Amino acid sequence: MSAEVKILDGNTFVVSDDNGDIEASLTDPTGLFSFDTRFLSRWVLTIDGQRLNPLSVDDLQYFETRFFLVPGTGTVYIDAKLSVIRQRAVGGGFHEELTILNHDDKPVDLTVRLEAACDFADLFEVKDALKKQGEYYASVDDGRLVLGYRRDTYVRETRISATEACAMDEGGLTFAVHVEPQEKWATDLYVSIGRGASGTTSGLPKYERPAKKKARTTLELSLEKWVDDAPSLDCDWDSLKRTYGRSLVDLAALRFSPVMLPGHYLPAAGLPWFMTMFGRDSIFTSLQALPFASDLARTTLVALGLWQGARHDDFRDEDPGRILHEMRFGEMTAFEERPHSPYYGSVDATPLYVVLLDEYERWTGDAKLVRSLERQARAALAWIDDYADLQGNGYIAYQRRNEKTGLENQCWKDSWDSISYRDGRLPGFPRATCELQGYAYDAKMRGARLARTVWHDPAFADRLETEAADLKRRFNRDFWVEDGQYYAIALEPDGSKVDALASNNGHLLWSGIVDKSKAKAVARHLMSPAMYSGWGVRTLADGQGRYNPIGYHVGTIWPFDNSFIAWGLRRYGFKEEAARIAAGILDAAEFFEGRLPEAFGGYERELTKYPVQYPTSCSPQAWSTGAPLLFLRTMLGLEPIGEHLIVDPALPHGIGRLELLDIPGRWGRMDAFGRGRVDVGSRARRGGQLGVLKPGSKKA
Amino acid sequence: MAELDVGLLEALEERSREHPVPAVDGVVLFDVRDGDRVDEWYVTMKKGIVTVARKGGEPDCVLTGGRATFDAVLSGRANAVAALLRGAFNAQGKIILLSALQQLFPGSPGIDGLPAAGYAERQS
Repeated sequence: MSAEVKILDGNTFVVSDDNGDIEASLTDPTGLFSFDTRFLSRWVLTIDGQRLNPLSVDDLQYFETRFFLVPGTGTVYIDAKLSVIRQRAVGGGFHEELTILNHDDKPVDLTVRLEAACDFADLFEVKDALKKQGEYYASVDDGRLVLGYRRDTYVRETRISATEACAMDEGGLTFAVHVEPQEKWATDLYVSIGRGASGTTSGLPKYERPAKKKARTTLELSLEKWVDDAPSLDCDWDSLKRTYGRSLVDLAALRFSPVMLPGHYLPAAGLPWFMTMFGRDSIFTSLQALPFASDLARTTLVALGLWQGARHDDFRDEDPGRILHEMRFGEMTAFEERPHSPYYGSVDATPLYVVLLDEYERWTGDAKLVRSLERQARAALAWIDDYADLQGNGYIAYQRRNEKTGLENQCWKDSWDSISYRDGRLPGFPRATCELQGYAYDAKMRGARLARTVWHDPAFADRLETEAADLKRRFNRDFWVEDGQYYAIALEPDGSKVDALASNNGHLLWSGIVDKSKAKAVARHLMSPAMYSGWGVRTLADGQGRYNPIGYHVGTIWPFDNSFIAWGLRRYGFKEEAARIAAGILDAAEFFEGRLPEAFGGYERELTKYPVQYPTSCSPQAWSTGAPLLFLRTMLGLEPIGEHLIVDPALPHGIGRLELLDIPGRWGRMDAFGRGRVDVGSRARRGGQLGVLKPGSKKA
Repeated sequence: MAELDVGLLEALEERSREHPVPAVDGVVLFDVRDGDRVDEWYVTMKKGIVTVARKGGEPDCVLTGGRATFDAVLSGRANAVAALLRGAFNAQGKIILLSALQQLFPGSPGIDGLPAAGYAERQS
């Protein structure tokens, strides 16, 4: 298959070949998707029976693209007398403007055919190649081709129409086209989707004719305003400016408006397959973006609060007070064959919810929201003690109750082998991973601050602080690996320390649970050759049993992980180390044209010279997109204290000057300036990079 | 056919007094269909507390569905969101009210071989 081209609007998106065609199979993830359902699996353009060949593709905006094509699929370009332009924009389905230009001095008569079909596959079916249980139907009526699927009361339809006269049959549209010399012919094609998925429909699916002009201008205006509202960055390092611009636009594309909060946006997890509400991803990304776009945090808090767990439901791994993991809208969820309505199998989202609520208030001063979510925050805090203590020892742990379709690993490192002993053995369940205890500690401390300052409940604040102090004391005793001088990645139910050295230690610094006396040893590990590659901190240290530089959570480097590690290092005063991590990841960003991938290989920087991308299907990914934003915060040392924004820059040498202007917050708007004074082992800037060397290696 | 079990609706009121739902105020009309028969219940949400009545003013949101679907959802045998997605329920109006209200619907019974609540007793 040719290169994939993706455009999207919220959770409606199109993935096609680079000639604009869609030819999906059950296992091939191309097509028009909306609400986790494929609404078009075949969309193939031919002229006189011939396929078209791409000359170029212009990604105009994230929701709009233009394909320049010529007839014939040969590899050699023949001086074509015809050229074809398909301009496609997503919005409530999609709109395609098909234009044919005749460059000849003779008129032409052409048969233009668009083949259309749909399998109405659920994303889960595409992933697992499952068979459909309902019935398909197709019809032509009232100038529209209708493709449909029905299973009991579940009905999904795709309706296709054109502005120019055409013959329609159940397999597509045929146009008899006559074009005069040097003239053009054009038609608008509308692909509308009918979905009950949003829950907003009455008896029949709703048909939205994607209004060509309206949809596009709304999206354009929205993007323009979004970029204008964010702080502006100026700096003498062009690469950083590019990365910042890219991050803002990508974050705009990743915005997702939940059905119950129309007009409000939260960050979805990844484009295109994870354009939905995720507890963990939405919270982490909102935290990263707080100094730039605090509205994301606000919507995340409100939406996750509305869907907070309220009962015991084993299928959905739901408990009272628990924050959801993932919401889905496809057929398998609709028939309760998958638990995502929503699914609650995440164990970190709940404490992180309280962390985000507090951080949001510190930046925005929006006490009103904190008051309105008091009940939710209290329920989240209660969940930590009442439902998460699966080992019965006062630590958060996870073990799924839905053993068929639930998630086995409910922390961010959710692959099967991510949690291991130094010698590679895997621990049993329930698992109490270390970073969870940090999040719990932070949630209690921050909950205490909110209780004291906003909810006016000092007794509750005292209780939370006492519990936090107790948790910190026990944690530093029970998780500390004495012979390694770091924290174990997890505890077994019998109290054994799962003693691998992993990047989770950095999240512990961020949470504040690390004893001051132990912080230096932890920071030293994070910056050691075993963990720091020159690009960033590996998920698992080199030398551990399961270390693999291209293992998903056992050796790769995650930009998101590193952004929180840098924040943690700053929290404990390790400014230079934080700057070094920022420099490495931001250097890597240049290789990806400012768009950081989910993860890249943990190879030594000196070995590969460039960051080796880990192959994943989602790009951009929300928390990778948010990473440069958080790095800007940590490099500039931005910290809201009371009504003020403190700026305490620690920038790598390679950045001469950095200005972040109009940072919004409870202070109104403020500017931050910094100059690069931290020696991160940089050589003279090469190819636009800061050129961080590993500690201990020679400077060039 | 019998109408919707009033006990299931009263249970909503009771649960909201024990565990108030997110404070979104408004009225949801349960439009319960059973053959030709239409049953209407006005579910009023105020400051997280729910009251159910036969009569009411203009609803902010209308939830339409068969009696069997209402019965299954209100007794925990089916999930409300899934029912909406598959068209067994249809909703019009302010969906945010349903997001809050669904917190009061009972959860599904335990999966075979698993306890209804799989968490350990906390040791002090």
